[in-house]
Amino acid sequence: MTIYDIIFYLFAAITVLSAFLVVTAKNIVHSAFYLLFTFFGVAGLYVLLGADFIAIVQIMVYVGGILILLLFGVMLTNKITSVEIKSGTIHVLPAVIGLGLFAAFVLSTMMTTKWKSNPAELPFTTVYDLGYILINEYVLIFELLGILLLIALIGAASIARKDKE
Amino acid sequence: MDASLLTENLSYILPEIVISAALIIIVLFDLIFHNDKRIIPYLAVAGLAVAGFFIIDQFSFEGSAFATSSSANNFGMITVDNFGSFFKLFVVCVSILIVFFSFSSEEIQKTFDRLGEYYALIFGMILGMIILVSASDLILIYLALELLSLSSYVLAGFTKLRDRNSEASLKYLIFGGVSSGLMLFGISIIYGMTGTTNLYLINPLLQAPNLNLITVSFAMILIFTGIGYKISSAPFHFWTPDVYEGAPIVITAFLSVASKAAGFALLIRLIKTTFVTFTSPDGYWQLINAFDWQALLIIISIFTMTLGNFTALWQNNLKRMLAYSSIAHAGYLLLGLVVMSDQGLTAILIYFVFYALMNLGAFYIIMLIANKTGSEEIDDYTGLGSAAPFLGVSLAIFLVSLTGLPPTAGFIGKLYIFIALVDAKMIAVAIIALLNTVVSLYYYVRVLKHMYLQKSDSPKDAILPSTGQILFILILLVPTLLFGVYFTPIVTFAKNSISLLGF
Amino acid sequence: MNIWEIIIITVIKIGAILTIMLLTVSYLVYFERRISAWIQSRLGPNRVGWEGILQPFADVFKLLLKEDISPVAANKFIHGLAPFIAVFVAFSTYAVIPIGPDVTIFGYSIQLVVADVNIGVLYVLALTSLGVYGLTFAGWSSGSKYSLLGGIRSSAQMISYEVSMGFSVGGVLLMAGSLSPIAIVEAQYGWMWNAIVQPIGFITFTVAAFAETNRLPFDLPEAEPELVGGYHTEYSSMKFAGFFLAEYANMIIAAGMIVTLYLGGWQVPYIDKLGLGEIVTALMQVGSFFVKMGAILFFFIWVRWSIPRFRYDQLMNLGWKVMFPLSLINIVWVAALIMIFNL
Repeated sequence: MTIYDIIFYLFAAITVLSAFLVVTAKNIVHSAFYLLFTFFGVAGLYVLLGADFIAIVQIMVYVGGILILLLFGVMLTNKITSVEIKSGTIHVLPAVIGLGLFAAFVLSTMMTTKWKSNPAELPFTTVYDLGYILINEYVLIFELLGILLLIALIGAASIARKDKE
Repeated sequence: MDASLLTENLSYILPEIVISAALIIIVLFDLIFHNDKRIIPYLAVAGLAVAGFFIIDQFSFEGSAFATSSSANNFGMITVDNFGSFFKLFVVCVSILIVFFSFSSEEIQKTFDRLGEYYALIFGMILGMIILVSASDLILIYLALELLSLSSYVLAGFTKLRDRNSEASLKYLIFGGVSSGLMLFGISIIYGMTGTTNLYLINPLLQAPNLNLITVSFAMILIFTGIGYKISSAPFHFWTPDVYEGAPIVITAFLSVASKAAGFALLIRLIKTTFVTFTSPDGYWQLINAFDWQALLIIISIFTMTLGNFTALWQNNLKRMLAYSSIAHAGYLLLGLVVMSDQGLTAILIYFVFYALMNLGAFYIIMLIANKTGSEEIDDYTGLGSAAPFLGVSLAIFLVSLTGLPPTAGFIGKLYIFIALVDAKMIAVAIIALLNTVVSLYYYVRVLKHMYLQKSDSPKDAILPSTGQILFILILLVPTLLFGVYFTPIVTFAKNSISLLGF
Repeated sequence: MNIWEIIIITVIKIGAILTIMLLTVSYLVYFERRISAWIQSRLGPNRVGWEGILQPFADVFKLLLKEDISPVAANKFIHGLAPFIAVFVAFSTYAVIPIGPDVTIFGYSIQLVVADVNIGVLYVLALTSLGVYGLTFAGWSSGSKYSLLGGIRSSAQMISYEVSMGFSVGGVLLMAGSLSPIAIVEAQYGWMWNAIVQPIGFITFTVAAFAETNRLPFDLPEAEPELVGGYHTEYSSMKFAGFFLAEYANMIIAAGMIVTLYLGGWQVPYIDKLGLGEIVTALMQVGSFFVKMGAILFFFIWVRWSIPRFRYDQLMNLGWKVMFPLSLINIVWVAALIMIFNL
């Protein structure tokens, strides 16, 4: 076990544990709080993989943007913070069967597959290459993402705005 | 990428560029000229017409654009071939009909202030669909699927007139989110195994000797989840009835025809470019034995149509009934794919053309009646045959066509699918499908019974459609009848449109 | 250099930076009070020590000796955590701001920055966006409506201005072609300061920095007439001091960022032409960094005592309808400059 393995398992444990707490917490603000750690764990994994840019963007977008908006929504919604979230269990048997099958598949996939890997030297920084590829080979996808975001913006505004009576 | 290469690549995606430009023009026009919203639909039609022109221009032209440096055989992310062009043209034609459809929809006219947003979102859907049918890269496929889904989530709850709208939108979003998440998981597994996202490059890699077949199957089932959700095949159909019932009728019609076609095109392209090794002279595809698509599709299609037809029997809301019927039709369409042959593919294309005509027609008339009576319940159709003779007769013809009885186009569509099944020696499957058709006869005819044979307790007001509305119905009605007896042009067109790039 | 030497040097750097930060923060408070008094023709604190020079320490003792109260309605855990988040974010941001060029001390070549992160600018932006959590959690967990409103206001404001802040930085990144603060400073050699090349970006960034630090004219989160004390209404003793510390530390970071990104960092124009020794040059450069930062800090204080507060809708309008388009124009402007002059 190298030092990298230890770091990996540390971050993985943070991610999984906090994700578990997110879904089991009774208070919605606590859930959001645990989600913070999930995002940090994932960002840590990105750093470990040498994807520095993605890691920072993960923090900026998810922690700095999405989660804050989520908290915002919670705070502005009247009395939602005192509502106990229903977290009872129904349909236990189908869920167990479904999840068991899924877990079995994921496990067998993880254990037995020969993943393709071509080890390369870790780049000093990924920002430059990422930017170059995005605007060259993947320019179509880049532009389409722009349109996707525009549509998302229009859609969000359309849902949120109040119609004049 | 230098300038000349970029221009060459861009010349392959002219229809997509036109649609994007129209989308942006509509948004800007809405922003600058608040008071001339009436012009927006005409802008939309103009944009679609120009895109249609470029698509027709691309017929019998093959190529692929935006190749990445890693793709050695020069197959890019987006392809141009007859198959793709067929579906692009299909989507564009349906969209033009939908624009006219929206003119008569009271639900949409009530939200006149937001007409710009409405058409922007419609164009988002169109762009997603026409990219989806020609994409050959998993990232692009996923992105186009998201573009399509995001726009449809909002459109499903667009009118906000009833709680059902929001319910439809929310249900659609939740189901969509889960299935696209699963699909992404599948894509990531495929990428992890092959190291590429290009469909054409995945094909040879899947033929490697010591491939883990369980993993491939797992990934493929996950990817099928995303597609199955779009074409509303069982067991991913749960959203369909609620969304179709809650959404504005225009959007329901659009989703049930165009969005379904795009999903099918994606499924066919995925199977044919990634899993086919070669096509035998009599048109049967030889699949890589990495994953048994045929077995999966047979089970899914029988399950889908049986479930759709039997659940439709109990529906009293016409929109909901048509939702289940559209699930059943997805099952029939999948049968065309089950045979894994060029003949089956031709049958699918033919079926889609006819399905679009009759389904749009049925939804249009239901909308006209709902505009007047404010209800889609089957009990309110009692005695409509005499109150609205023209609408009644037209609806009867569309429903008969949906059942698949001669002399309508629906019969021809089903006929070709059954012939393909019989030719492939899948007699048992064909018989099950035939029995299903018999079941569907019951619920379609039940509407006719209500309209013509049952006496209404109170006299109905006459529903008189305007000239434009009659014209629109005729545009859908005449081909439905005409293609029932003279279908050679459509068949020839479909036969010419089955060629995919590289196969 | 072996790993231990690197660790020891880094620890020394962290210690030095922390000491400088803490001292600057406490004296910043003192100077703010003196300058405000001077602007308003008052005397200001002048009793503790010579001209009140020991006043900051007296303040700290006062806060330490106060009772630590947490309200009954509060969520104890998050209430206690919030000031720590604020302080942590404020101090860790400073790690990537370079205060001088590479120098050679005792045979070691040392960079005058704690961590030369190659995406340092993004690191700062990411941590700034984390700073919102301190305020939001503080506002929510206090269980008081004034705190909650203050928390919500501050996060809405910070999110809005982060957008134009990020876009303003875009222009700087275009000029430098790098996300590393050191490279950005080095790209501003001579008089090629970004404040001169892209004045619009400089202005939008500075305004956004005011909003991010919740300083007047953007201090709505703690607008006394409406919200008592804003998000820290329910805080006392050292927890309150934590917020206080974080706020002033944020000011210093904002000043440091403005200097690094727009005012040439530690560069003194054409100092290398004078032919001074390496140590003298480096000292002058480090000095120039602190002089520039001091000037910006003075500007912060000056603005605070000269300009009235915005109304909330004005603040949002300014952020989205003026600042955001201006920062976009700045990017286009810089891109055009680069295209025309092949910079």
